[in-house]
Amino acid sequence: MTQYIIRRLVHSVLIVWGCATLVFFLIRAIPGDPVIQMLGPEYTPEAADALRERLGLDESVFTQYFRWMGNLLQGDLGSSITGAETVNSAILSGLPKTMSIALMAFLIATAIAIPTGVLAALKRNSFADFVVSFVAFLGVSMPSFWFGIILILIFAVQLGWLPSLGYASIAEEGFVEWIKHLILPSLAIGAGYAAILMRFVRAGLLEAMSSDYIRTARSKGMTEKRVVIAHGLRNSLIPVVTIAGIQVALLLSGTVVIETVFSIRGIGRLLVGAIFDQDYPMVQGAILVVAVIFVFANLFVDILYTLLDPRIKYG
Amino acid sequence: MGQIDWSVLSGPYVSRRTLLQLAVATGIAGYASQLSGANARPRYLTARQEPQQGGTLRFGIGVSDIPTLDPAQETTGIIAGELLANIFSGLVQFDEQLGIIPDLAETWEVAEDGLRYTFHLRPGLTFHNGDSLTAEDVIYTYERTIDPEFASPHANKLQQVKEITAPDELTLVITQNVPFAPFLATACSRGPGRALNPIPRRAIEELGNDGFGRSPVGCGPFQVVPESVELATGFEMVAFEAWYGGRPPLDAIEVSVIPEISSRLSAIEAGDIDMLDIVPAIGVDRLAQLDQFTIVEAPGTNWWGLRMNLARPPWDQLEARMAVAKAIDRQDFNERAFLGKVVECIGPIAPAFGWAYQDPETIESPQAYDLDEARRLAELAGIAGEQPRILLQTDDPRPAENLRNQLSEIGLEVELDLVNTTAYFERWDAGDYDMNITGSVVDADPDDNVWNYFSSEGPWNTHGYANPEMDALLEQERRTSDQEERAAIFQQIQAVAQSDVPFAFLYHEPDRTVFTNRVQGYVPIPEQRYLETIWIES
Repeated sequence: MTQYIIRRLVHSVLIVWGCATLVFFLIRAIPGDPVIQMLGPEYTPEAADALRERLGLDESVFTQYFRWMGNLLQGDLGSSITGAETVNSAILSGLPKTMSIALMAFLIATAIAIPTGVLAALKRNSFADFVVSFVAFLGVSMPSFWFGIILILIFAVQLGWLPSLGYASIAEEGFVEWIKHLILPSLAIGAGYAAILMRFVRAGLLEAMSSDYIRTARSKGMTEKRVVIAHGLRNSLIPVVTIAGIQVALLLSGTVVIETVFSIRGIGRLLVGAIFDQDYPMVQGAILVVAVIFVFANLFVDILYTLLDPRIKYG
Repeated sequence: MGQIDWSVLSGPYVSRRTLLQLAVATGIAGYASQLSGANARPRYLTARQEPQQGGTLRFGIGVSDIPTLDPAQETTGIIAGELLANIFSGLVQFDEQLGIIPDLAETWEVAEDGLRYTFHLRPGLTFHNGDSLTAEDVIYTYERTIDPEFASPHANKLQQVKEITAPDELTLVITQNVPFAPFLATACSRGPGRALNPIPRRAIEELGNDGFGRSPVGCGPFQVVPESVELATGFEMVAFEAWYGGRPPLDAIEVSVIPEISSRLSAIEAGDIDMLDIVPAIGVDRLAQLDQFTIVEAPGTNWWGLRMNLARPPWDQLEARMAVAKAIDRQDFNERAFLGKVVECIGPIAPAFGWAYQDPETIESPQAYDLDEARRLAELAGIAGEQPRILLQTDDPRPAENLRNQLSEIGLEVELDLVNTTAYFERWDAGDYDMNITGSVVDADPDDNVWNYFSSEGPWNTHGYANPEMDALLEQERRTSDQEERAAIFQQIQAVAQSDVPFAFLYHEPDRTVFTNRVQGYVPIPEQRYLETIWIES
């Protein structure tokens, strides 16, 4: 197992490196010159040259690449070329926000998906199943930015219960404010995520419940509750966990839009803004972080398999 | 040139006296109506009682990001006029009619030849870090801005400056190579005059240029709390106790960056902010209906139009361009693209410059809507079936969509080229477009309205427009000190721009801000937000 994890870690590093390299070259292939944008349309060619030199953009792409990799190995992601921030500080301030939203969205989604999925599977083709499936269908179809705006209109503008914008740091403003600022954005992303998970829980459980081992469990005289939870649900969770891992990407891409709607500057908004401005170091840094999160979330999922199903062994 | 007396630009006050004479003597409608508006003291000013001390203003700003708070590096006019204007001071500043009044300089003289500006600074000025502010600091700021290594986008505003000296601590002498009428407004003012907003040398030495952009040290009425700064999210400013004008009534201002239009509106409606910098057109009617908000409107300093690339046939033909201009029903455009919330524009001189502005009602513009005439011209130029592409970067394509529909009436099959910002600027700069919706915003002087696009050497003139008559007028406007004469020249410039049609002129956007009724004492300066007079009713 340890050997497996080490091997996967090495793979992960390679994937992240490949991703970072690809992005480094692709972002430079986008048409447009960040220097001209920074100076505005009144720029003079001399000013543009001076700025290019100051930012190191006058060197060959490969020189820039190796310098970036060198700095990266020392933990330095560079400075924004269009603003006064360093990439490290932008990511350090953005990461807790994005991770809080994603984590909360994940919790909300699983809290909705597992009970409703189980209900829909056990009461298959009943009215409850119909309602749950219909709501899930709505959840999948609803664009998160639209749902986010609707949530703001109801809970912030009309009822005044929750704030319509911003993020509160747990260290500075306390747990209650942190949660209050997280609920709406997390719900906006979590709803779609819950709908997808719920459909997998339902399908997985239906399949599991018709298996031989369920019949065996029942014939042993187990209570139905224990049959469902210990045998049915546990076995149906493998595909659910797989999807949950892959869908971490959905959560992260959801934050891109939702952070804009809620005026929160997490990794998602940072990344989009940087792409529009062609702020090369910022795009590279943000993509690197997203790649690391994605790769490790999936590594975690693979390890989780062994806990759910002891038959799965790595080595 | 001999009889021009440049000393009329001297001050503690430049233009109101001249403006009053001008309004009475010429009866210029736009200006007279604005003046009466100011005299009538609108509601939010008459309700003014003794300001209450204390409180925090939660200020929402509708931008996607704040790249930097260093005035010499900031390219977004809105950020300069709304945020930097409260952190930094200029030598001079604006009043409600965009007249020029003292800021750090108590008085100034302009020599009769228009080349020498002598500023007398107030005694006892200090920066937020406690350092005293003298004429030497302005010289340091000048040198920093023009340093080629520093690559300030505002260095060009100082290119006609020959020399800058400080005979003593409180006297600053700026000598120019040529007379340059807009100098005070564009290079020395609080807000737009970013090139010369004084910067303390010690802060740059301690923080470095990037560090200064994150936690700037100015001398304005509010100072930035460095640990609160997260550029893309917002920051906090607190009242500067030692400001020369006395401590402002507010204790603090919390600035929130709100990128999304609908989120801006819901933030003010939900009570999460007290003031929204600019009311988007879609929110004007809604907020006006609600009793708890006050919308204050000032005339805009901006204009917008559809430019045509004269370097690309058939747009080199005057008939083709005029056909486009006359095919646009500005009223329909306003209703459909802006819900009727913008002002029809007949030329580049913006309504905020009351002394030069011409009311559309009083002028017969050759570009006025006339579909029959437009069709005739289109046939003459043979442009039916042409497929011009409009270059766009905005996230709101409605104006362009409306133009596409209207121009189909003269047989044009318009296509929209929606591109990202960097690609947009690159193509803008290279003149790589058939048509382009663009304009000029947060202008400090009508010179800003016209020079950049209509001078054959203008930095924004990438559409191949050149007319020696226009160039001569632009040169003359810059070399004329008397405001009345300048106004007449600007009106000639506008007339030439109307009949040459490098642009089909479209609209001016009024400057609307909104705040909750607890917010008192706001004085509207067009497209600036000077916040030191604001106080919160408890």
